[in-house]
Amino acid sequence: MTDPFPPPAEVLDQLDDEAFRLVVRRFLAENYPPALRNPPKRLHWRENKVWYLKLAEKNWLAPGWPREYGGMGLSAAKQIIMTEEFERYGCARVNDHGIVMVGPLLIRYGSEEQKRYFLPRILSGEHIWCQGYSEPNAGSDLASLRTEAVLEGDHWVINGQKTWTTLASDANWIFLLARTDKRAKQQQGISFLLVPMAAKGVSVRPIINLELHDEFCETFFDNVRVPKENLVGEINQGWTMAKALLGFERIFLGSPRQSAYALTRLRRLAEHVGISDAPVFIDRYTRLRLDLADHRALYETYVAKLRRGEALGADVSMLKVNQSEIFQRISEFMLEIAGENAGLLEPIEGNRDLHPAGIFIQARPASIYGGTNEIQRNIIAKNVLDLPA
Amino acid sequence: MTNEPGGMNEGAGRAEGLRLIRESAAAVAPRQGDLRRIRALRFTRPGFDPAIWREICAMGWVGIRVPEGQGGAGLGMAEYCALAEEFGAALMPEPLIGAVLATAVLPAALLADQLSGRRLILPAWQEKSGALHAPLTTSFSNGGVFGRKVFVPMAAGADGFVVTAREGCALVPASAEAVSLVLADTQDGGHFGALSCDDAPASALAGDFAAALEEATLATSAYLLGLMDRVFALTLDYLRTRTQFGRKIGSFQALQHRSADLKIQLELTRASVAAAADVLDATAEPGPRQAAVSRAKARASDAALRLTREAIQLHGGIAYTDEYDAGLFLRKAMVVANQFGSSAWHRARFAAIAPDSEDEGP
Repeated sequence: MTDPFPPPAEVLDQLDDEAFRLVVRRFLAENYPPALRNPPKRLHWRENKVWYLKLAEKNWLAPGWPREYGGMGLSAAKQIIMTEEFERYGCARVNDHGIVMVGPLLIRYGSEEQKRYFLPRILSGEHIWCQGYSEPNAGSDLASLRTEAVLEGDHWVINGQKTWTTLASDANWIFLLARTDKRAKQQQGISFLLVPMAAKGVSVRPIINLELHDEFCETFFDNVRVPKENLVGEINQGWTMAKALLGFERIFLGSPRQSAYALTRLRRLAEHVGISDAPVFIDRYTRLRLDLADHRALYETYVAKLRRGEALGADVSMLKVNQSEIFQRISEFMLEIAGENAGLLEPIEGNRDLHPAGIFIQARPASIYGGTNEIQRNIIAKNVLDLPA
Repeated sequence: MTNEPGGMNEGAGRAEGLRLIRESAAAVAPRQGDLRRIRALRFTRPGFDPAIWREICAMGWVGIRVPEGQGGAGLGMAEYCALAEEFGAALMPEPLIGAVLATAVLPAALLADQLSGRRLILPAWQEKSGALHAPLTTSFSNGGVFGRKVFVPMAAGADGFVVTAREGCALVPASAEAVSLVLADTQDGGHFGALSCDDAPASALAGDFAAALEEATLATSAYLLGLMDRVFALTLDYLRTRTQFGRKIGSFQALQHRSADLKIQLELTRASVAAAADVLDATAEPGPRQAAVSRAKARASDAALRLTREAIQLHGGIAYTDEYDAGLFLRKAMVVANQFGSSAWHRARFAAIAPDSEDEGP
């Protein structure tokens, strides 16, 4: 009789890193749907649901949540290994806002009732969440948001518009930042609210992005009423809570995997167009390889910090800037060498590994999402280099 | 992967050792304070301070890579890099990296002299510019060396040279009649020696000079790291204090963003050097060692030139004066960045020897 696989989370957390990595690899080989490997676009719920529910069934959905709430309770270092292996295997990202954002928010700030109601429904896949932060006039300057929530009796009445609500058309709940005190200083009048997408007055309009994909949406709130219990934590503390949620996960924006994936495609493209032996190609390709190798070395110093139990500082922004710009340089080089193929809408000759235009377009938002690289540079200048305001 | 970058794969004890090395280096190579000593030595001969050199020897640093059984300190590359980094931050002209390189091939008696500072033997291994390896024309036969070696830093201070020849390494005394040395000043106030040997009397040396050359290359990368770290600190200080248009210039976003980019290059260099030191400490296999060294040197050379160049621009006119210290760093980078192989040479070597690793993508 062999032990059941995978072992329960208590056992996993005790494994050393290498043993844990092997467990993750085996788990993926045994459980990941082959048809979903390396999807060219972000998948919708109807496509990735099968993987979400498989993770739920195996209790592998929430690696960072404490075990008392149904999570795996893994250390940051083990969560990184898990993410690395998922990325390496080419796993699709699931609709993970409930797991990555709402769960940690409620576990830290939610009422007992909120935790009891929402957490199991995230874990079962009954509730799919989307994020209502950005607005048409509040992007990088998020604190200037104007969606408003007014308390009328036992209900919040919400009016306003959110944008870049990723996969909102899949979601049945949204967590949002809304202004609850117009007189307070910008950051201090904002609260966290939970709103069912089915509520009267909520409407969603998909936005077609440059990938011609409807990943983003605009979400409108027209006199939407939710019970006052749908406030998370203290009133007017939403900004502070949102900032506190920015944990070690920021390191993932600097993961070398995205650039590594693109670099491999660059090499294949060069072979396809017959220039892989040309000195001009080799020189630039080598620069990119070295950029990525040094990036990986820097990234590993942050992983090592997490392994030692240290918190990450503002300097982790360096990883995001550097990774996204390497990714973009690779994609730009692909476009340059692809010739007319650079203009193709679909992969070259139907080969998914040869899609320079697709990777080039995918690389555009990398320097925008998660805080634009310009905002990241502001952060580095002020909080790391201590330059004056 | 259990190796932690930063040369601390043996845990807290090693980290403490590295800290101690940096601290003791401060006695002769201070990170703080003025650079008057460095200025005063510029364009003099031998271009460094013999008294400081004796102190460096007394600290045991020339023997940092020599096994303890042979009178050295027997420390690893992480430690050597920490020391070289401090030397770079202090713009030390004393020829530590050359002297350490020579120890790889010196026989016992000479080695003892080298470690104590009684004699200074410097390597003369180069025949062309910008390359770490190239076919040699220098020959060594019947006890005589024929050939011309170039770009020997601080050659005026040497008592003898380790000369690389087709047949192996040979020791050539500086005072021999068949040896002529021509000096050329360098931008940083030091000099290169060009050494011509016409049947110079020489004795054969044994040891793995090629492996030591890789270590010297990495130590040079660490020296550049220290140099750029300090010039960046100098620049940030200026940005925090200089006022124009009624504001500290460091509050201007154009300068903040450039500074953020420089910080990234600085930290990439630090990570690359530390990762390479770990590789050298962990394996004797030439392939991975050379790839790691080339990576670090390519990054350090390019980043050092960029940081020093940008330091001038971020300061403005003041940094174009010789009186202001930023220029000392720029001119040092101009000299050191291309020593032990230029960034272009190292990139080409990396491309030639490092296979596209499977780890680069699925």
